[in-house]
Amino acid sequence: MLRDLTLSVEPGERVLLAGPSGSGKSTLLRAIAGLLETADAGDLTGSVTVDGVVPGARPGAVGLVLQEPGSGVVAASVGRDVAFGPENVGVPRDGIRAVVADALAAVGLGDLALDTPTSALSGGQTQRLALAGTLALDPSVVLLDEPTAMLDQGSAKGVRDAVAALCSRPGAPTLVVVEHVLGPWVDLVERLVVLSDDGQVVADGPVRATLEAERERLLAMGVWVPGEGPPEPVAVDPALVTPWTTRTSPALTAVPLVVERTTRLLNGGRRTRCAAELTAGLEAVPGSLTALVGPSGSGKSTVLHALAGFLIPTTPDAVRVTPTTPDAGPPTPPGDLGAADLARTLAWVPQWSSSTIVAGTVLDEVLATSRALGDDGSRDIEIDTDRARALLAALGLAQLERADPRHLSGGEQRRLAVAAALHHGPAVLLADEPTVGQDRRTWAALVGLVAAYRTAGGAVVAATHDTHVVDRATVVHHLSPPAQAPEVPAHGIPLVARCGPLALLGGALLAVPAGVLSPHWSVSLVVLATQLVLAVVGLWAPGPGALARVRGTALRMLPGLVAALSVGWSTWFLAGRDLDPALTVALRVLVIVLPAAVLIPWIDPDRLGDHLAQRLRLPDRPVVATAAALQRVQSFGQIWSELSRARRVRGLGVSWRRPRSVVSHLGALTMGLLVRTLRAAAELAVAMDARGFATAWSRSWWLPAPWWWRDTVLVALSAIPLAVALLVPL
Amino acid sequence: MATQIENSTQEPRSSSRRSLTATRPLMGWRTVDILTIAFLGAALGVAFWGWGVFYNGPVTALKIGYAPLMGLFVGPWFLAGVIGGLVVRRPGAALFCEVVAALVSMLPGTEWGATVLISGVLQGLGAELVFAIFGYKAFGLAVASLAGAMSAPLQWGFEVMSLPAGGGGWYAEWVMRDKLVYLGAMMLSGAVLAGLVGWLLVRALARAGALSAFPPGQEHRESHAV
Repeated sequence: MLRDLTLSVEPGERVLLAGPSGSGKSTLLRAIAGLLETADAGDLTGSVTVDGVVPGARPGAVGLVLQEPGSGVVAASVGRDVAFGPENVGVPRDGIRAVVADALAAVGLGDLALDTPTSALSGGQTQRLALAGTLALDPSVVLLDEPTAMLDQGSAKGVRDAVAALCSRPGAPTLVVVEHVLGPWVDLVERLVVLSDDGQVVADGPVRATLEAERERLLAMGVWVPGEGPPEPVAVDPALVTPWTTRTSPALTAVPLVVERTTRLLNGGRRTRCAAELTAGLEAVPGSLTALVGPSGSGKSTVLHALAGFLIPTTPDAVRVTPTTPDAGPPTPPGDLGAADLARTLAWVPQWSSSTIVAGTVLDEVLATSRALGDDGSRDIEIDTDRARALLAALGLAQLERADPRHLSGGEQRRLAVAAALHHGPAVLLADEPTVGQDRRTWAALVGLVAAYRTAGGAVVAATHDTHVVDRATVVHHLSPPAQAPEVPAHGIPLVARCGPLALLGGALLAVPAGVLSPHWSVSLVVLATQLVLAVVGLWAPGPGALARVRGTALRMLPGLVAALSVGWSTWFLAGRDLDPALTVALRVLVIVLPAAVLIPWIDPDRLGDHLAQRLRLPDRPVVATAAALQRVQSFGQIWSELSRARRVRGLGVSWRRPRSVVSHLGALTMGLLVRTLRAAAELAVAMDARGFATAWSRSWWLPAPWWWRDTVLVALSAIPLAVALLVPL
Repeated sequence: MATQIENSTQEPRSSSRRSLTATRPLMGWRTVDILTIAFLGAALGVAFWGWGVFYNGPVTALKIGYAPLMGLFVGPWFLAGVIGGLVVRRPGAALFCEVVAALVSMLPGTEWGATVLISGVLQGLGAELVFAIFGYKAFGLAVASLAGAMSAPLQWGFEVMSLPAGGGGWYAEWVMRDKLVYLGAMMLSGAVLAGLVGWLLVRALARAGALSAFPPGQEHRESHAV
């Protein structure tokens, strides 16, 4: 990646690092942070010193903020997240409180409540939170790796303002920023370093003078130089991307719509909130470009999902498409279409373009949908292949034809996703931030291809914060974050919701000996009756909500009931067709399962981490990692459905009548989920090590893990069924 | 002398059948090791839960016939231990991964209540034992299958144990012959659905470039570098 690179930065200096994609800017930042070997492979020679010592010598001396908002989020709440660094270096509890408040105030998040969920922050706030997390360790160097690349204008400015405020403080840390859009940073930095394609320093000097002197070279590299308008889109032959059928009317129309999202809450309830609102009707007229703009959190992606039929709006037929089929019926909601009809009509480029990858080589990836649709022999394979090659060449990917698409860079994957979406000639392209991470050269190619598709009669709907793309739009829809109804405070809180995680877990585990030790169904019946009474005691609270809790518990008991029936049956069948032992084992199952169904859902992952480490004295680092993983379990479900949708819209449907399609579908989704999971783990490892986790052998804990009297009550109550099981036979 | 040293480092590369081990010291868990095991465990835990729903349906139908054969379908639950061990190759990886997976699969509510956590420990211990016997040096298909198969016996003991005073596990009342058939079915399932499938999955993940920080990724690179 990088070779023979020598760079020296003075304390307090502010440096902007520019260069073409793939010149090793991110690698250099990781080298400065001492994190090169955290999650990457390769050969490392040479050395980096910070204040004369290796970067890891003082944990957190070099802070790092990554490009993808959220990739470095460690905990479920704002306070916990900022406290992570100080915890790793063993700052005592009282000290952490002041550090956290200072760090949050320094990035302009001072008015957020400390228990604000990190998942509720916008992209810009998340990046500022990451900055606060590094500041909490009093870094002497702060490294920013394209911190605003994925943000809208307003959020990006918020992040830069936070950086500016940081730089103006006395004793401000040294700053190194990697960016390919230089303009907004010029006033913030003093020095500009330009890397070449092969990772050499080709220019280095005061920012304005260097920009002036190196303007042509930077433009040739594709760097977005301030004062320079967007590049001229590359001319692409419209014949490469001509839609399947010529249309005069829009293939997709939508009336104003609202999408709601329901989340399951820890207390067994559900909360429905408005996720996005499209306030004006939308028509994907052939040749048009519709831009969806708005700050992050305004629901641009959600509206695209609704247009593609992945999410159903509150009025189910608000979106209608006219399928591109020989015997096209009346307009229908896209969700009702089969995979093949959907793919012929719509194409989708998601924000995470790596999730649409369905093939093993770049060329196969481009051809995948055409092949799936051409099962009937209606397409000419040779012509299709030639056209795929031409598409790749137009996007600067020709030399990667045989590469594994999963090995491409983020920017390359995004261009590949557009090529793969357009190859089979859909009527409408739905694209989510298609130009993120592109330099001037690849931007010109991508925008040129989309222009050719429009000339050929295609319609484009794009969610974007790229002003140069918005300038080319025929219609612009401004989305604003939907107003949220205030949360209704809970009336009464049941006992189970007031107890700590260890008491809940212990209560559920006490049911195991109670079940195992019940010698006969008559005993089990008494035990079960006791448990039912206790369940009522534990779940009861004044006010509404009790019914929802009972319903939730009953739902979680369903698998247990099935298991009780089947275990009972098999015992009856195999143990002499005697009802007596069959009843015994069936009730045993219920005795073991019921307390778990009542108690387990109330365990909070973060608090479980606190308690496992502080009360049970389990090793700190695995406990923190497990809590971080538990926190992301919800997102695994989302990744799974995103992968599943991506396959469907690419024409790779599943039918229970074709078992092979089911197997390959499940296999592809499992692999996709695991790859994403592993990538998330690697990214988080970098972020955590940048905050001192590598050497966190004896951490401090910001939040205590108290054991209340009610925890004792819960455990004592949970022990009653066990006592019954032991005493009744006597 | 220098050339000799280089030659000796070249040697293991040419013998492609030997597994690469984790960096020394073996107990020196890096952050990425810990996080990867926790994340893999969580992802597989979600899959476990899904498999449990499936298991409850079609596999219950099998119970109506000859119940011990349902042991043939338990393998997927042993995957976390096998995959965790194969990827990170450090002492405790298999156990840690299986326990996290069990914890996650327990949260939405399953047909086994809190016993899932106990099962996670028992199954993880079985797989861990196999990797330990081979000194955390061998991670081929045979070892993976053995780890999958050996995830079964402790779990089996928990399910079929019967107490002298009455009471016991789910299948305490079966006669010994049925219990043994059940053990055989579980071990076979573990060897194939956890061992073979886990080994194939790890290989596929290495090919996808997702394991570059781990020995399987290194093995893949070296076998393609020549």
